[in-house]
Amino acid sequence: MPVSRRGFLRLAGPANPLSGAFLSARGLEAEFAEAQAQARPPRPALPPGVDEIRISSNENPLGPGKAALDAILGKFPEAGRYPFNSTPADADLAAAIAARFKVKTENIVLGAGSQEILKSAMRAWVSPTRAFVTALPTFENCTAYAKRYKLPLTEIKVDAAMRLDVGPMIAAATGSPAAGLVFFNNPNNPTATVHGAKTVTDMVERIRKASPDTVILIDEAYHDYVTDPSYESAVPLALSTPNVLVARTFSKAYGMAGMRIGYAIGMAATMKQLAALKMPYNISVFGVAAALAALGDDGHIAEERTRNTAVRAFTVKALQEMGAKPADSQGNFLFVDIGRPAKDFRDECAKSGVMVGRDFPPFEKSHCRISIGTMDEMTRAVEVFRAALKTPVTTSGEKGGR
Amino acid sequence: MLTRRTFVQTVGTGVAAYIGSRGRENSLWAALEPALGAVAPGMICLSSNENPLGPGTTVLNGIKAAFGPNGARPGRYDGTSRPLIEAIAKRQGVKPENIVLGCGSTQILRSCTHLFTAPDKALVGTIPTYEECTDYAKLMGHPVRPVALDADLKIDLGKLGAAAKGAGLVFYCNPNNPTATYVGAKATRQFLATLAKESPDTYVLVDEAYFDYVTDPDHDTHIPIAVENPHVIVARTFSKAYGMAGLRMGYAVGHPETIKKMAEWDAGSGTSSLNVLAMHAGLAAIEQDASFITAERARNKEVRDFTMKWFADRGMKPTDSQANFMFVNIGRPAKAFREACRAKGVLVARDFPPFEQTHCRISYGTMDEMKKAVAVFGDVLAKKATAA
Repeated sequence: MPVSRRGFLRLAGPANPLSGAFLSARGLEAEFAEAQAQARPPRPALPPGVDEIRISSNENPLGPGKAALDAILGKFPEAGRYPFNSTPADADLAAAIAARFKVKTENIVLGAGSQEILKSAMRAWVSPTRAFVTALPTFENCTAYAKRYKLPLTEIKVDAAMRLDVGPMIAAATGSPAAGLVFFNNPNNPTATVHGAKTVTDMVERIRKASPDTVILIDEAYHDYVTDPSYESAVPLALSTPNVLVARTFSKAYGMAGMRIGYAIGMAATMKQLAALKMPYNISVFGVAAALAALGDDGHIAEERTRNTAVRAFTVKALQEMGAKPADSQGNFLFVDIGRPAKDFRDECAKSGVMVGRDFPPFEKSHCRISIGTMDEMTRAVEVFRAALKTPVTTSGEKGGR
Repeated sequence: MLTRRTFVQTVGTGVAAYIGSRGRENSLWAALEPALGAVAPGMICLSSNENPLGPGTTVLNGIKAAFGPNGARPGRYDGTSRPLIEAIAKRQGVKPENIVLGCGSTQILRSCTHLFTAPDKALVGTIPTYEECTDYAKLMGHPVRPVALDADLKIDLGKLGAAAKGAGLVFYCNPNNPTATYVGAKATRQFLATLAKESPDTYVLVDEAYFDYVTDPDHDTHIPIAVENPHVIVARTFSKAYGMAGLRMGYAVGHPETIKKMAEWDAGSGTSSLNVLAMHAGLAAIEQDASFITAERARNKEVRDFTMKWFADRGMKPTDSQANFMFVNIGRPAKAFREACRAKGVLVARDFPPFEQTHCRISYGTMDEMKKAVAVFGDVLAKKATAA
């Protein structure tokens, strides 16, 4: 394809360095923001001259790479076709993902974002008699589902280091009655911590020994951002262990949250149950083409990891110098002890156009989640943080500001 | 010579006039990029009830705008889904709380089946009809009550009403896919009113996917009933006349209580399966001049009349087609016909039991495509039918 990333953005509209950002904006986060959006008035405009820095939703601030953007443009002639009739077709995407992991398409289920995978897992394996075990705080999609449909739910609070507390999670999963589904977000959103391969393998073994029918869903949405050498993907484990599956997404490092593409990988028997619940033609022709192009552009992911690692280190250091305490971050976001209610801090930062993460109970009185933007954005954002952290701590985060 | 590069530049500079005529049949594009088209190059795709021309320039420019300043930071769903919901509500004369978006109308059909059927609450649907609800009910182990069509392959309202009593959900696909027949608005209103009295807890999902193609003078939407009656839902899609099957965008219109349940089924909002390009495209589509749909209906009618006549002239009786496809008795198994047509470059639809031994569904392409297609049909049908 002849269009460079820069050229694409220029073609797509007058110079706007953030033009590609819309594709990246939102991932698993979308529904919560959307739910709020349905109920709330539009956000008040910022003062003139102040650009918003959105570091609230764990997005890749640069959006998709050149290959993916080119692929989207190339699909204009096929907008009227169903994804099974386009070239490439949705089945080609499943095949390419399978090839990447050297497995068969029966080991892959595509989702409209990994949120569809998570929802299907809840539908497949949680019922009034089969409980759902998850962490607190963790990505809330499944938890919200369990609450909405009044399904049995156990939430295990993270440990003092903000890591998933594996022992109690195993105990909950293998208690009586045994869990239908365990959700293990690694790295964990919002705390950004990760568990190493051995811990994950041991956990799976222990759960399976006591309760072989319990399904374990390991959500690796932030896989591409991990730099901890003890971490390994659980994909090989899922491919060799019944009732274990891994969820992945194109919404994070791949920068395509707006496109809604995720997938699950696991043994054929596990995937069959999930595939039955998959919405037909759930990924657009644009999404199929963009994801396929992105899969062939590994250099882009490596660059994105390097970029994120550098900006993450910069931000961690700056926050530590201010006396704030971030948990060990293995994602594209930080969970930071700011010693004050997240709401106060969030409102203060918003006045300067810096949007940080929502409340994450039970840590909403002390911690804030901050996504990693570009180096330019974070350079400006840390000055806003510095000013916000100098304001006196109010007692409870009572109303005031937005 | 038009190259890929100049195409892209043309898109970029906003002079996108010629892409408005694009679509799967676009020989110009196919010549440039032979790999495009899933449907192998040169194949005429009459198998999926798509609009052969695609969404048109306005919508493609709408997607393009999503990349640029007009869609300023458009990744925020609160900057895209809400305006789309509001625009649909305005176009349909309802309120935003009457609308839920879906990843194609597929999601609408699924959520209704999931919410309104149960082990003791059957799904009722005609045989044949669009299979999504039936397949999903079966998957969940919920009972399905099939109802035969009448002799004209139209919904048999008497039989349907009888089967609907005490059921959880009636799937009412009108025009009906794959038979292309349409029950007039008056009769449907009467059916809904009677059912509301006789079986007040039964939901009815009126699928108006092909609404824009109907030419029957007794034609009207059932949205006004849906917004008043919590047990009636209307499904719509951008995949048919709007030519956006590849984008995945549909919606439901109904009573706010019902819409809320459907939105929650998608874990909160009903929008998290929706891609941002589809939202930009949907907004452009719904806000464009209504003449887009009028012109598409007129185009389709001309092709329909041509194709129907071709079959009728040869003694093969299509049903009364009120959509962008036909269901025709070819007097032989659909499979043999389909395979023979495929070998000659024309793709027609899959089997639709219980009519797979006699009937084939054929979508309407462009007039040019149909002229080529009927020549193929003529060749294939001239050969003696073999047993299945």
